[in-house]
Amino acid sequence: MLDFLTENWGTILVSALLAAAVIAAFLSLRRARKKGAACACGGSCGQCACSGMCHKQP
Amino acid sequence: MEIRIALAGNPNSGKTTLFNALTGSNQFVGNWPGVTVEKKEGRLKRHSDVVITDLPGIYSLSPYTLEEVVARDYLMNQRPNAILNIVDGSNLERNLYLTTQLTELGIPVVVAINMMDVVKKSGDTIRTEELSRQLGCKVVEISALKGTGVTEAAETAIQAAIEDKAVPMHRFSGPVEHAIAHIEEAVLHDYPAEQQRWYATKIFERDERVLQSLKIPAGTMAHIEQDIQAAEKELDDDAESIITNERYVYIASVLKSAYKKRNAGKLSISDKIDRVVTNRFLALPIFAAVMFIVYYVSVTTVGTWATDWANDGVFGEGWRLFGVGSAAYEEAAEAYAVPGAMVEAFESAAEEAGIDPAEASDLTATAVFYDDNGNVTEELPVDFAAYQEAAAIEEPDPAAFGWWVPGIPVLVGNVLTAIGCAPWLEGLILDGIVGGVGAVLGFVPQMLVLFLFLAFLESCGYMARVAFVMDRVFRKFGLSGKSFIPMLIGTGCGIPGIMASRTIENERDRRMTIMTTTFIPCGAKLPIIALISGALFGGAWWVAPSAYFVGILAIVVSGIMLKKTRIFAGDPAPFVMELPAYHWPTLGNVLRSMWERGWSFIRKAGTIILLSAIVLWFLQGFGVENGSFGMVKDLNNSILAAIGSAIAWLFAPLGWGDWQSAVASITGLIAKENVVNTFGILYGGFDEVAENGWQIWANMRAVYTPLAAYSFLVFNLLCAPCFAAMGAIKREMNNAKWTVFAIGYQCVFAYAASLILYQLGSLFSGSGSVAGAIAALAVLGLILYLLFRPYKESTSLRAKVTI
Repeated sequence: MLDFLTENWGTILVSALLAAAVIAAFLSLRRARKKGAACACGGSCGQCACSGMCHKQP
Repeated sequence: MEIRIALAGNPNSGKTTLFNALTGSNQFVGNWPGVTVEKKEGRLKRHSDVVITDLPGIYSLSPYTLEEVVARDYLMNQRPNAILNIVDGSNLERNLYLTTQLTELGIPVVVAINMMDVVKKSGDTIRTEELSRQLGCKVVEISALKGTGVTEAAETAIQAAIEDKAVPMHRFSGPVEHAIAHIEEAVLHDYPAEQQRWYATKIFERDERVLQSLKIPAGTMAHIEQDIQAAEKELDDDAESIITNERYVYIASVLKSAYKKRNAGKLSISDKIDRVVTNRFLALPIFAAVMFIVYYVSVTTVGTWATDWANDGVFGEGWRLFGVGSAAYEEAAEAYAVPGAMVEAFESAAEEAGIDPAEASDLTATAVFYDDNGNVTEELPVDFAAYQEAAAIEEPDPAAFGWWVPGIPVLVGNVLTAIGCAPWLEGLILDGIVGGVGAVLGFVPQMLVLFLFLAFLESCGYMARVAFVMDRVFRKFGLSGKSFIPMLIGTGCGIPGIMASRTIENERDRRMTIMTTTFIPCGAKLPIIALISGALFGGAWWVAPSAYFVGILAIVVSGIMLKKTRIFAGDPAPFVMELPAYHWPTLGNVLRSMWERGWSFIRKAGTIILLSAIVLWFLQGFGVENGSFGMVKDLNNSILAAIGSAIAWLFAPLGWGDWQSAVASITGLIAKENVVNTFGILYGGFDEVAENGWQIWANMRAVYTPLAAYSFLVFNLLCAPCFAAMGAIKREMNNAKWTVFAIGYQCVFAYAASLILYQLGSLFSGSGSVAGAIAALAVLGLILYLLFRPYKESTSLRAKVTI
């Protein structure tokens, strides 16, 4: 086990960082969708004057 | 205790600019009316107990528009502690109409006369003390844009809120005051004294919403109606007109003593500019020229230089700080071009033959030279002796010249190699994430240049003129200029554009605007335009601007066709719009607007594009090869290829029936930038997409002809927008059938436009097929019929009536 970790620590570290980035991206999208701060659109709904009509305000 | 101050004023009077200055927010500011539809809240800087509310711009407290309803409901139901009424100093008469209504609400009002710098510059004089005396409220001078007087205005509003005094000074004529007194006595005696006058005036005007909310008994209403009718008879007008006229008479009397105009009757600078810019004959050519310049500069010149730096430098091998050493390196690289190509060609040939190049004495290879556009310029035979001679020359190291900053792929690659990362994970990060996300981010400079132009045009007041100019064009096919406002907003992003359609009262026009708004290329489509322009057309000057005009043409054609159908038939709604005065936008505002839009794209690259890149990498890296599932060497065996191949035939008549293009179009539905992301992963050979080199462009040219590439561009510009925009369409349509119809129409229209373009283009270039040409001609004929068939207004109404 220790040998495996020693030999593959680079891969494990990068995989963990990548997984964290993916989770962060998901959470960010979810949070943004609720707040309208910046949903999937490029126009940033939070900046849209009508955002309050589509998103719950924080 | 919390103090709530509402910012109220006419559209485009500078409320949002003042709101940003007072709260430190970055709400969107535009120099056209109707930027704010919903109210916004923020806390006053250095006064955490003071909440500022930015209300939509309104001309009156009559419930004629959505903005007026939002503002009026807030003021009457939430009862802020004070109202800071922003008044455009360069247009006092019209702005004070709202002021006369606000002072009747029973809420302390402070009038902030904005644009005082413009007033003083034009030589006009406003006597604020006299104005204050006549209106019965405090009056302050500000310039929201320059930030002068804004703190004093806020402090005066806080003071007014604490003092809590509101005394309406205006009195109507005798018959009206008589009726109002009766109304107060009959209906409103239980209401707070300070609110009675406003409600009484609204009852006099027979305001339906107020009458509904008050639920006045029929007997009482009949009694009141007698008083109202008596006043109408005596003053020979209807109640609402009487109130309006008397307000303007009062305003005129106030201004007579408080305002002096230096150049009364003379044309202002804005008027003079408008004589040219909105001229009947010059307006459209000027608009076309402006948009041409915007897209040409953004995509073809300045934007391209910046994007080249981003792709070749930041997402390429690297770049030299301040360009130091660039000339020396270019000289050395040029000198090494021939020997380098010879070595590469010989070693590739040796690898293919399965022999060591150092021992391949009998081998002869051919070095091929390309120009910047990927065209073959020379072919040179390379034998063993020539190879040895060329291999002895050392390749110049870019890092050895000047201050070299390595690119992100180089840095990431070095780190991954140093820590011994597994090859598959290295592939995912370098080829999938850095290649895919980097391909999108590489276009950010071009987007920023485009957004800078748009922010300038919006802020200076030109875009408002465009809506006015386009009204004349749109009216001919049944839409009004009001429909062009969502399209203007849609140039940045389709979603707020679709949302902005809710200000269109006419339901048919609103639906048609929603259906056509996303034809205008949004910022996310810019990378697709730039990619096709650079890779297939050598950065030709006309490609990027033509994408914008294809969007406009699609709107016009769709408008004419749809308006002749029964569901959209009807006269366009009248379009009244105030043209704001031209002004030089502040650098801060323009840069902030540019950055807000640009940053949202960068943020998007870190979320949805990143996730898409990972999924795409897995789908293109795994599949069934040699009878077993696993990582594939040949992309054609991947899962992505299987998915793409299943639908690619659909697009074959459009000239791009390969699975990569089909997949790119489908991934574009997640976010339009994903088209470039997909090309970055699939076509790139894992090189940056926008590199001004030959590798990626040569790969794309192997698949596309210029005609097929333009057909691909047209389809992706006009077809269904991204899922987020489709969600916006669903919300705004509020009807599943209409949503399906809108998205279906966009896809069918895009397909028809691409089919006609490709098949007829092929016919002219001599490479078309007879069947394809017949199909394209049939579709073209159908469109022409729908365009030119006579317009029949429905003379009967069919409806299901349940008794």
